[in-house]
Amino acid sequence: MSRASYSDFERAVVDGDKEKAEKLARDFVEAGGDLLAAVEEGLVPGIRKVGELWEEGEYFLPELVQGAEAMKAAMGLFNPALSIGNRQLPDTGKVVIGTVEGDLHDIGKSLVATMLSANGFEVYDLGSEVSIDTFLQKAAEVRAQIIGASALLTTTMSKQRDLARAIEQSALPSRPILMVGGAPTSQSWAEEIGAAYAENALQAVSVARSHLQ
Amino acid sequence: MNDFLKRLEDGPLLLLDGGLGTGLMERGLPAGIPPETWTLEKPEELLDIHRAYVDAGSEAVHANTFGANPVRLAKYGLEFQHLNIQAVQLARQSGAPFVIADMGPTGEYLPPVGKGDVNIWRQAFEAQARVLLEADVDAIHIETMSDIREAHQALSALRNLSTKIPVMVSLTFDKKKKGFFTAFGDPLVESMQSLADHGATVVGANCSLASSDMQELALEASGRVHVPLVFQPNAGKPELTESGTQYSQLPDEFAADMVTMVKSLGNRLAAIGGCCGTDPRHIQALKKLLEENNIAFRRINP
Repeated sequence: MSRASYSDFERAVVDGDKEKAEKLARDFVEAGGDLLAAVEEGLVPGIRKVGELWEEGEYFLPELVQGAEAMKAAMGLFNPALSIGNRQLPDTGKVVIGTVEGDLHDIGKSLVATMLSANGFEVYDLGSEVSIDTFLQKAAEVRAQIIGASALLTTTMSKQRDLARAIEQSALPSRPILMVGGAPTSQSWAEEIGAAYAENALQAVSVARSHLQ
Repeated sequence: MNDFLKRLEDGPLLLLDGGLGTGLMERGLPAGIPPETWTLEKPEELLDIHRAYVDAGSEAVHANTFGANPVRLAKYGLEFQHLNIQAVQLARQSGAPFVIADMGPTGEYLPPVGKGDVNIWRQAFEAQARVLLEADVDAIHIETMSDIREAHQALSALRNLSTKIPVMVSLTFDKKKKGFFTAFGDPLVESMQSLADHGATVVGANCSLASSDMQELALEASGRVHVPLVFQPNAGKPELTESGTQYSQLPDEFAADMVTMVKSLGNRLAAIGGCCGTDPRHIQALKKLLEENNIAFRRINP
């Protein structure tokens, strides 16, 4: 395959064209193309561009979600082919994510979940109003390396602190780290409770990556 | 004509109340419990907050019905009819000259962001609107909408049931490099215009932004929308302190920004108040500063 096709992948993600991304991925797998290169030189630059457009105010929630969905669709076809072909993407890890108890807000958290899975993470989205026990049980079950907890209210962000303590006390064998986010949260809040902080869905991907290295 | 409608259309400028949810939480509403439950369980606390606003100078208070639509309440297994009626009665008991019922978003989003659909919105708003219109309210305020399509569903549900009730519609905007947009990308002026074109008595913005940014937003909207405007900013950003969560903006700072807004918008402004983090002290400071500046709420219709 020529390099030009990588930019087709990029374009499909930037346009949020899920069908096109799927078709490209299917053809590419059949043709025996270099899947890792397509990810690194097509899909990843595409989702990065989507994120940039979002930060600039060119793209909004729907475009961001569509871009991530397109990437996820292509990755879904690549992953099985990659494992058969004995070439693995870097082990990106497992993430259990949810909005803390008492908080119905869903959008920001779902976006982080979508972006993480678009970037190859195995994501278990528990939805909103997730209790500490549910977070811990799921993390234990799937041996998650990362627990993501969102809080959109000043009154529910204290649950992130409770969760941080509970994770520490639970001594889960996978030793997950806590990553927090949401409007009222900040770097200093995360540091205070001993968690990692991601300001937005893009940052969440790089924060999650850096913690697995 | 409804006194409140006349007031919104002809002035003088109306002083609204501030945040309700933040007040309830300060009084011990636990995380995870929707504010609507206190309408039945702790009505005295709710009444106390409404009264504190009236004492501070609010001429209109919002009833505790923001999340009282059937879709949202169903998530908690709560029945919505009684909660709406009771909340309006409590607001009425505060002695406020005007009572506004609040209608907030359902919490469901359309694809690709969520799994909701327009019919879910429609049914939720129609059901809540029916109950509120039977209750003793002077106006209905559709607030904190981040998707113009959802705001339109709420507005048209109301307008189908009543052409007379004054309806205020406030969207919530983020400040981006290219201006103010909702999270779904709805632009400021066009969104406000389309709501005005579809029967909103007053349009505006609430939540998300602090008073300084809201003042900038108000200037941008001013003169470009053909109905009077309403603005209710937050008291800055929430910050964590040793004594708990606090909003960064002090009442005087909030009041100063709002008075600057009033001075620059003049008679284009129908009403002002506060959203998250504002409390009766913010309203009191605002009233005082308005008076000191001789803006005694008199608005002469052009």
